[in-house]
Amino acid sequence: MSALEQRLQALGRELAYPAEPELAPAVIARLDRAPFPWRRAAALALAVLAVALAAALAVPQARTALLRWFHIRGATVELVETLPQAQERSKAGGLGPAFPRREAERMLGFHLALPPLDGHPPVHVLGNVLATVILRADGHPALLSEFRAVRYDVLKKSAVGKSVIEPVRVNGEGGLWVEGPPHTLTYFDERGEFRQRTVLIRGNVLLWTRGELTLRLEGRLSKAQALRIARTIR
Amino acid sequence: MVDRPLDEAELVERAKRGDLHAWETIVREYQGIAFRTAYLLSGSAADAEEAAQDGFVKAYRALGRFRRGAPLKPWLLRIVANEARNRRRAAGRRAALALRAATQDRPGDAVPSPEAALVASDDRARLLEAVNGLSEEHRLVVACRYFLELSEDETAAALGIRRGTVKSRLARALARLRETLEPEAAE
Repeated sequence: MSALEQRLQALGRELAYPAEPELAPAVIARLDRAPFPWRRAAALALAVLAVALAAALAVPQARTALLRWFHIRGATVELVETLPQAQERSKAGGLGPAFPRREAERMLGFHLALPPLDGHPPVHVLGNVLATVILRADGHPALLSEFRAVRYDVLKKSAVGKSVIEPVRVNGEGGLWVEGPPHTLTYFDERGEFRQRTVLIRGNVLLWTRGELTLRLEGRLSKAQALRIARTIR
Repeated sequence: MVDRPLDEAELVERAKRGDLHAWETIVREYQGIAFRTAYLLSGSAADAEEAAQDGFVKAYRALGRFRRGAPLKPWLLRIVANEARNRRRAAGRRAALALRAATQDRPGDAVPSPEAALVASDDRARLLEAVNGLSEEHRLVVACRYFLELSEDETAAALGIRRGTVKSRLARALARLRETLEPEAAE
């Protein structure tokens, strides 16, 4: 090692670093809750199913929480009497950090399906699972989110009984149109854990599948507008 | 029978079988270097803590892909460093970490440390200024190799580059430092 290298090494031992945090307790606590994602996901799926069945079998008295339950791959929509507690959010809030498209696709591990766009809008990525792009649709902002869900649900949506939830077809694949009063949305991360991001949504939403992806379009859009945009997505 | 400490390979094998105590031992062993590496790459103590924590969680879940007998430290540092770089990019920060020397008079230091004696304060400040003046790729390779005292393989893993690139960047960085510090650093 040269004299300069020795001086650099000596300097390194004199540098000021922030106090080192004790990481082990937090790491072990997280792993203790969900040691392996697929086990957690399977448990979660069973739990969701159990809740749905219990509600479906219950007499529809005042205490009945769940009225109907819809599912497409990777997303669940519940029709409930009372919405869960949720926070308001701006269009871009809680979507995760933004990246250029190519970098986002590398993180997500799939190619994004997008409509024809002017320019190259950034892609928000949440938990390396959920991608969201902010679009302009007929003069209004809209959020297009997508994810690859083969093993577990990434989105759970709750809507009150007055909401419209209709099965739809988009380019030959199944979907759901959700319209009406505000509803809530909860994301799960790749470990199948709640991200504590139950937020209040005031727009209408189209959920559909396209190949291995599940897509979600949200905004102040009519059903016809949403379907028209969805059908241009490639 | 006397209990002996488990070696790293045994700890990894136990962790692969779901033994969280074994993984906790590994986390405690490497949390310091993981945090400092993440700090150098992210430029933020908060991001470094998150990156290191997420890195250890992801590494545990990826243990099935860890090759038996391979060195653990570079593998861990690669995962933690990826987390740190993602956070830096997300925050839109350049890795413009302005390295600072610790204050000269540290509590309890009755006499200068051997390091402080070796690098006198004026010289230390000039050397630090020269390192901070390097390009980002040169500064990071110097920081990993000499400040964190990582091996070439570990530096390559932390920076996501090949070992040959570590060598060539180091050579250029050292040459640049010598130019800046001439005639003091001329050898």
